[in-house]
Order: sequence, then structure tokens, then C-alpha cells
Amino acid sequence: MAGSTSLIARKSIRARLGRTIAIVFAVVAGVSFVSGSFVLADSLTQSFDGLIEDLVQDVDLQVRGTNAFEGDSFGGSEAPPIPITLTDELATIDGIAVIEPDLTANAQILNDEGDPIVVTGPMFGTQYQPDTLSGIELKSGVTPAGPDQLVLDKATADREGIALGDEVSYSTDTGIYTGEMVGTVGTPDSDSLLGASIVALDLQTALDHFGAEGLVDQINIGLAGGADIDVVQADVSAAIGDQYEIVDREFLIKEFQDQIGEFIGFFQTGLLIFAFITAFVAAFIINNVFQITIGQRLRELALLRAIGASGKQVRRMITIEAFGIGVAGTIIGIVAGIGVAQLIVAAFNAIGAGFPSPGIVMKPRTILICAVVGIGVTMLSVIVPSRRAARIPPVAAMRPEIGFAAIRSRRLVVGTVMTVVGVVGLLVGLFVSPGGTFGLIVLAGGGALLLFLGVASVSATVATPVTRVIGWPIAKLFKTPGKLARDNVARAPRRTSSSAAALMIGVALVSAAAVFASSLRETLSATLESSVTSDYIVTSSGGGGGGPGASGFPPAVVESLAALPEIDAATPFRTLDASVDGDPKSLIAVDPQAASRLVDFGNVDGDFADLTVDSLAVQEEAAQTAGLAFGDTVPVTFQSGETRDLRIDFVFADSALGSNWFVGLDLFDEVSTDRPSDQFAFAALADGVDPEVGDEAVRAIAEEFPQVSIQSNAEFLQDQEDQINQLLFIIAILLFFAIVIAVIGISITLALGVFERTREIGLLRAVGMNRRQVRRSVRWEAVIVSVFGALIGVVLGTFLGVVLSSAVPDNVISELAFSPGIIVLILVGAVFAGLAAALYPMIKASNMNVLEAISTE
Amino acid sequence: MNTEFAPPTPPADASASVAGPSTTAAAGAVDATKVYGIGDAEVRALDGVTVSFETGKFTAIMGPSGSGKSTLLHCLAGLDALTSGATFVGDTYLASLDDKALTELRRTRVGFVFQAYNLIPTLTAEENILLPMMLGGDEGDAEWIDTVITTVGLKDRLHHRPSELSGGQQQRVAVARALASRPQIIFADEPTGNLDSTTGAEILDFMRRAVKEFGQTIVMVTHDPVAASYADRVIFVADGQIDGELLDPTAEQILERMIQIGN
Repeated sequence: MAGSTSLIARKSIRARLGRTIAIVFAVVAGVSFVSGSFVLADSLTQSFDGLIEDLVQDVDLQVRGTNAFEGDSFGGSEAPPIPITLTDELATIDGIAVIEPDLTANAQILNDEGDPIVVTGPMFGTQYQPDTLSGIELKSGVTPAGPDQLVLDKATADREGIALGDEVSYSTDTGIYTGEMVGTVGTPDSDSLLGASIVALDLQTALDHFGAEGLVDQINIGLAGGADIDVVQADVSAAIGDQYEIVDREFLIKEFQDQIGEFIGFFQTGLLIFAFITAFVAAFIINNVFQITIGQRLRELALLRAIGASGKQVRRMITIEAFGIGVAGTIIGIVAGIGVAQLIVAAFNAIGAGFPSPGIVMKPRTILICAVVGIGVTMLSVIVPSRRAARIPPVAAMRPEIGFAAIRSRRLVVGTVMTVVGVVGLLVGLFVSPGGTFGLIVLAGGGALLLFLGVASVSATVATPVTRVIGWPIAKLFKTPGKLARDNVARAPRRTSSSAAALMIGVALVSAAAVFASSLRETLSATLESSVTSDYIVTSSGGGGGGPGASGFPPAVVESLAALPEIDAATPFRTLDASVDGDPKSLIAVDPQAASRLVDFGNVDGDFADLTVDSLAVQEEAAQTAGLAFGDTVPVTFQSGETRDLRIDFVFADSALGSNWFVGLDLFDEVSTDRPSDQFAFAALADGVDPEVGDEAVRAIAEEFPQVSIQSNAEFLQDQEDQINQLLFIIAILLFFAIVIAVIGISITLALGVFERTREIGLLRAVGMNRRQVRRSVRWEAVIVSVFGALIGVVLGTFLGVVLSSAVPDNVISELAFSPGIIVLILVGAVFAGLAAALYPMIKASNMNVLEAISTE
Repeated sequence: MNTEFAPPTPPADASASVAGPSTTAAAGAVDATKVYGIGDAEVRALDGVTVSFETGKFTAIMGPSGSGKSTLLHCLAGLDALTSGATFVGDTYLASLDDKALTELRRTRVGFVFQAYNLIPTLTAEENILLPMMLGGDEGDAEWIDTVITTVGLKDRLHHRPSELSGGQQQRVAVARALASRPQIIFADEPTGNLDSTTGAEILDFMRRAVKEFGQTIVMVTHDPVAASYADRVIFVADGQIDGELLDPTAEQILERMIQIGN
């Protein structure tokens, strides 16, 4: 009867409260992360949407440049600037109340030493006028007027301790300026604009200081009361011709929202990946705990069978029990997700992401997905244990050994099959990718999942020998308790491997990321070694990310470098959107002569120096893919809409530095619609110049242009390495939940093991083992289990890392590298994880009453 | 009565106690009382038991189920604490010891043989025998241990694990463990309760030899008159009190006495 089985299930949950709480926690941890990811994304979307509406609420129409096609670079191409003279032409149109040319550009606030202030958001400059249509409003002081005044965003001013009336220096593409801060600005709800640091000047000063050369990004229009927007839009449209476009507020909001949505989508996907990993790890723990407790409840279950319960009813009982736990964990998890969301925002804001504080948006979709994940994971986890429970014969009530035979499994065969299928899926997914991205995700993701499950069960076969080796020093060092710890781990290899499995997964992912990161670093280093023959690398300094219009540095930097007598050659790397024979590509423009001297990509045909204004350089394989060969001519369209026939005058071998397509700077100058802005640059010392003298000269340039940093190859590499390590750190933090669950899993398993061995522990105590020795024994048992999990994880993770690194294109990773330091760190961490996991079972074991323990059956 | 004796450092009236001239007590209890529960549910498992166990003797404690014989053994061995009164091993009062000292006492001065589950399954026979010494970090007396192992006839089973040994062999390992550290006294709780009569007889015979040949002191709780007949002295316990004793008894005498108690 369903009634009786659910009654027994309810009683069972209540009777084993500690264990139930532990499983509920595992479910909560998984679900709260999933819930938190959705709540965060939904809440951020809502606050950004609100912010966007604030920013454009007064803009009725906007005039801006158009691109000929959607570029290949991330986030699409920026619209080209338009002449400010258009403003005067449009101002005469009836129905326009306010017309405001708007522009943003590189601008960095400098500290007293003349270095850019340290910020984590983007830094840029813009114009600000009294009747501005932008949603930015004055927080204090007045609007800037004239070349000697400026306003800053209030958040930056407060953080840097700048008061009204203070002199502030800032650098732009045209030089370094100083002005008096006469006010502060912010959005209606915040003291900053998404964490950006802003310098705002009056329009004319902005045009002058930013080097706008009469060009602005867009012209915003505010209508007079009673004006018909359609009429005005038609009039403006007629006035500007088809070189420019006019869009309305709804279009702008939609466009902004799509851009933000894309970013939040990436962010959410990243979080969800880690949320599902956490849920997956939780499933392991739930499965393991049910598996063990069914062994422990063997007699009880057999007794139920003996008094007339069917196998089906036993199974149903276990299932109902799991369902109850799953529902409880899911409900708590959904609510806890709100806290997780706040925590993630706090964490990201701590490193300066500048997220608005999110309201709480709990959509029905979130609740539904959490329920599916939480209850689903719990139910899936008990399928096998409940089936096994149903196989327990009634006679096991009297003779438990028969029952144990019935619940034994054929894990090795199943495990091996899963491992093999997993590896094949992973490899096919990554290297063949049938069905594009979707196929890659399904095959590689599913393969990795199967691989984890398979390895978790196959690892039982190596558990005994491996843990003996791990336990050897412990047995040597801690004598009898150490030896007992080692023997206890080895006596139940299946349990050892499944309780270690959860930790294995976390460690495997960290190790895979570590291999990936090391290989990335190694590739970068090898590329710099073999492909770059320059002495200096110039990159944008400070200001993470780069805001709107705030990417790169002005051509003047390279020009100044090239002009130095100590410098032999210097070339910028400047991106140029183009459509090669209808295919959008990101071309890179270089100085051909200098590039020929500064980089070595392995010439196949021709040389960088051969590039003329009609030339295109391409990497060997990229040329093959595009069906092009040396000497071919191909039509290339630029954002201006102009199409030119370019001849392939240079084919090179190494797919290095992120691009396969190059042109000369002369061509850039002729076809680009954008202000020239360099992403990075190389420079080499002239022969015979003492490097110290060269460094001195280069440093002077760096001081003149605070927006760049000029580094030696080694310094640059160190910088990149730091960034890679930071990424690894973030990954480790996101896996923290999974690792905490894994530790709790080891703790529960061990506590259950201690409970099973009550009689044995009692005996040990009776013949003279003291409490400290009991604790020591349990403690090192936990450490051996967790180190075992970590070891398997490192091996599996290293394999995954190698596979992943091999799967990404060679221009990203071409060298494999491992970092022994991280492996050592992981293993030391595993020892501490074991010590943490031991706390509860250790106390439980040492607090046992000796007499009661030895009297236990 | 021989059941009254002299505790090592007499707490009260020393002159009133008499011990056998050639023996000293290896362990004993003075007015030992153990009460479980309170009010109506109160059960006096031990009710003023005073008893001593002579060194070098094999003593059996007999009594029906619930008579308090096991509680007495547990309190004598320091596994359970008295409500009032005292128990001692050699010259040590157990009540004065904290958990650490009690553990130390059990490891060095007391040996145990239980009815079943006497051995740690992960350790070999030899390791099980050496366990108390290993826990204390001392080597033990190798020659003596070798003698013990030879005597119990386990030489060729030393490297087997308990699961590979028969029930009788397992109990022999347990007895060997109890003997190996030369404790002041061995407490055996129904050591043959799980064995067939032939195997049980072997174990009992071996325990008697340990007393006769090595001068070991053994106190054994049993409800089996045949097992008790191996002892030098049988003490009867009923309703938490000592109810007489027999010296060098036969199984028949014991059985007769038990029937009396039962009535």
C-alpha cells in the first residue's frame, strides 16, 4: 500500500535525522547554486534594463554612422563616427528642441605621479552639457565650461579623494591635460556608470582634447512638445541621406538590452556550468549515502520483506524517502539561491565589476528548473540503491550475509563500459564535432559526465593498492592507529572510491583547468620566443576591459617610438573589419617593413615587406580554407562599403598572435572609417644599442603616454601569466561549492563507517586504545580517502586538460605544459580536506561508550 | 567466608578482612552497587557485592540471566562505573582513574576475552595478539609471546586474518592476545558461548593451563556449568548479590547449585 510505504519512509527519515540533514544539505547546495545563477541573471537583467531606460529616456531620436556589414570581432563592430557639422544642418528642422552631439573616447584620470589611477572598470571620457539628453545627471557642483574645467563620476571622485575645486590631470589620445573638477556626475540611481571612471568635458573641449577631428559618435535629438516624431524622423532622414541612419528610443533600448543580454547570457552560462557540476557532485553523495544506509538497514528491510512487503514496496519506500528529501532540499535551495546571488554579486563587485545591487527576481522558470534539478538529481541517485534494496530476500532478516550478496553490484563491467563510451564521446565531440556547437556540447559534455561516472566505479579496483601506498607513510608515522586507518580504507574499496569520487570530480576540473592554463602560458611563451623578434611590447595600460570607444592607444605612441634613434623598427597592430569575399574577418594592419623585422611567422611565400596598399597576407591553412593561394586576387569589402581587389602577396606558416589576416597600414589609412587605434605594438632596438640606454628612452615615451605600458617580452609574459592565474583562481572559487559537498560526503560516509564499526571500536577501546588514538585513526582514514580522490582527480583532470588543450586551435594552444606546483597544492589541499571531513566522525568515534559499543551486535 | 578479603590499601576496616595466607588479590570489589534507572524503574544490578579474586587462580562467576554477573565483570574491568562502592585491580582503585588512566589500565594490566567479535578484522592473527602492546608502543616480551603462540597452537596461522580462521581459532587468538601482555588479570565474558562443545573444551583447557603453568589470574563469566567446572572456584551471583561459592567443583555440583538458585 502506498500509505504504509510512505508512512515507513516518513518514519525512516525522522529516525535517521543526521543522515537526512546531510543529504538535504547536498541537495540544497546544488539547487541553491542553480537558483542563484538564474536569480542573479534575471535580477541583473532587470537592473540593467532600468538603467538603460534611465540613460536614454530623453533621447527621442539618434543619428549615427552605419557599417556596411556586421563585423567578425566580439560584440560586433562599432558604428563609424559622423561629422559634427551635421548638427547644424539638422538643428533647423522643425520639432527639434535639443540636439546634442555625443562622443566618448579614451581618457584616463591620472594620479599625482602622473600614472593612471587603478580601476577595474573601463575608463573613458565624454562630453557633458547643461541640457544633456543623456541620463547622466549632476551629483554636485556645476557643468564644466571651457578647456580648464571637468567633472568626474562621483564614485571615482570619492574613491580618489578628489574634492570640488581640485586640479585633476587626465590623458587622452592627444596628450595630457589638467582641469579643475567643478562637479560630479552619476546615473539617477548610482554614483557611477556600471563601474566606469568617467571624465566629462564641455563639447568643444571634448572635441579638442579627444582628438575628434570634427567627428562625433552620434547626435541625440530631443523633440519639442507637440512635435510628431514620425514627421521629424522623416525630415532628418531626408536631410542626412543614406550614409547615416536615424533610430528611435525603442530601437536604442532594444539594442542596448540585446548587448547587455548577450553579456549576462555568457555570465549566466558560466555560472550554470558550475551549478550543474555542483548538482552532479551532490548526486554522487546522495547515491553513496543511500547505498551505504541500505546495507546498514539490510535487516530492517529484510524483516519488512519477511512480514509480507513486496520487493516493489521496499523500492517504493526508498523512493518516497528520497522524494521527501529531494523536495525539502529543493525548497530550501531555491530560497538559499537568493543569498547565493547576493554573494556572487558581492564577490564580483569586490574585484570591481560594478554590478548594480540586484533586486530579487524569482521567475517561475527558475523555480521549475530548480525543482527538476533538485528532485531529479535525488531521484536519479536512488534508482540503483532502491533496486538493490528490492532484491533483498526475506531470509536476510535472519542471515544478513545472504542479503549482502543480493545487493552486490556489477560495477566493474558497467564502469568500464561507461569510461570507454565517455572517452569516445568526449574525443568525437571535441575533435569531430558532428552537429556543430550543439553536437560538441552534447558529446563532449555527456562524454565527460559518463567518464566521471565510469572512473568513479572503476577506481574501486585500484583503491586498495593505491590507498595502501598513500597510507604507507601514515602507517609508518602513526603506528597502530595509522595502520588501522590504512586497513580500514582498503577493506571497502568500493565505498572508498565512491566517497572519494565527489572530490575526484572537483579536483579533476581544477587540474584540467591547470593543464589548460599552463599550456596557454607555454604557447604564449613559445610564440613570443619563436615568432617575435622584437624587444618591447606596447599594450594599453590600466583600466580593465576597455569601455565604449576606450580600446587601444593612439598611433602617436608608435610614431614616437619609431622616431627614437635607439629604436630600429616599430609597428602597431591595428584591427580593421573587412569582409573577404563575403566572409567577415578581423584583419590586422601593420607597418610591412617593420613587421618583417619584428615578427617571424614562418614565411611560406613572400614576406611582410612585400605588402603594398593592394596586398593581403594570410596564414597557410586559413588560405586553404578560404580557397585562396599565393598570387590570387580577392575582393575585400570594408565598413565604408568600399570594395577593393587585394592580391595575396604573403603566405605565412604560424597561426600566431590571434589573427590569420594582415594588411599594410597604408591600406588602413585609405579605407578605415574609424579613428585609428592600436591594440598593441612591437618595437626593437637598433643594433649596438645598449639595452639599458634603450630602456631609458622607451620609458620616456611611456611617461609621455600614460595610457600605454611598454614592457620587455619577459615582463609582458609575466603579466599574461598573472592574468591566467587569476582566471584559474576564479575557477577554483566557483568549484568551491562542489568541493565543500565532496568533503561533507566523505564526512558522512566515514561517520556511517564508524557507526558500522561500533563493535570494533569498542573492542579496540577495551583492549587499550585511548580516545586520542581512535581520533587519530579516523582522521587519517579520512585523509587517505581524500588524497586518493585527489590523486585520481589529478590523473583524470590531466587527461582532460590534455584533450581540451589539443582540441583548441593551434593559434591558441600549440604546446602542452603541466604545472607540478598546482598538483602539489591540490594534494596538500586534499590532506586538509580530509582533516576537515574527519572532524565529525572522529568526535563520534572517540565519544563512544566502550561498554555500549562492545555490547552492540 | 572466603568471599571477604583484604583490598590493597584498605579503605575502611582492614582487620575485618581476611585473605588467604599464600595469596594476594589480583582484583576485587568492595560493597559494589550499581543501580540503573530511577524511581519505580530502578533496577539494582549489583547490590553491595564484596568479592576478591586471588592471584594465580581461575575463578568462574555463575548466575542466571539478569543476575548481575556481567555487570560485575564490566565494573571489575573498568568498562562500567559503579553507583557506589569500589572495584580495584591490583593496588589501584578504578574510581580514582580518569578515562585515559582507565584505558592505560586496560591495555597494560587487564586482558579481555569476549564471547564473539574478539578480533579486528583488518589485522592478522599475530597483529591482533600484539595489538595492546602495539597501541602502547612497546615491543612486549618476544620470548613470552612466542611461548603463548606455541601453546595455543597458532604458529602456522599467524598471518591469517580472522575471516580465514575458524571460530575456535579466533577464540584462541583472543586468549593469546589477553595473555600476551602478561596482565594482572584476564576477564573472560562467556568465552565459549559461541563455540561447539569440543572447541569450547579446548579453549577452557587452554585457559586452565595458563593459570596452572603460567600463574595467570583469570575471571570468567559463564552460565554453562561444564565451562565453570574448569575453574578453581565458582562464585554464584543472584539478584545482584553473591550467593555462595564452590571450590574445585564438578559440573554436577554446579548444576545442582544453579537449580537451587533458580528456585
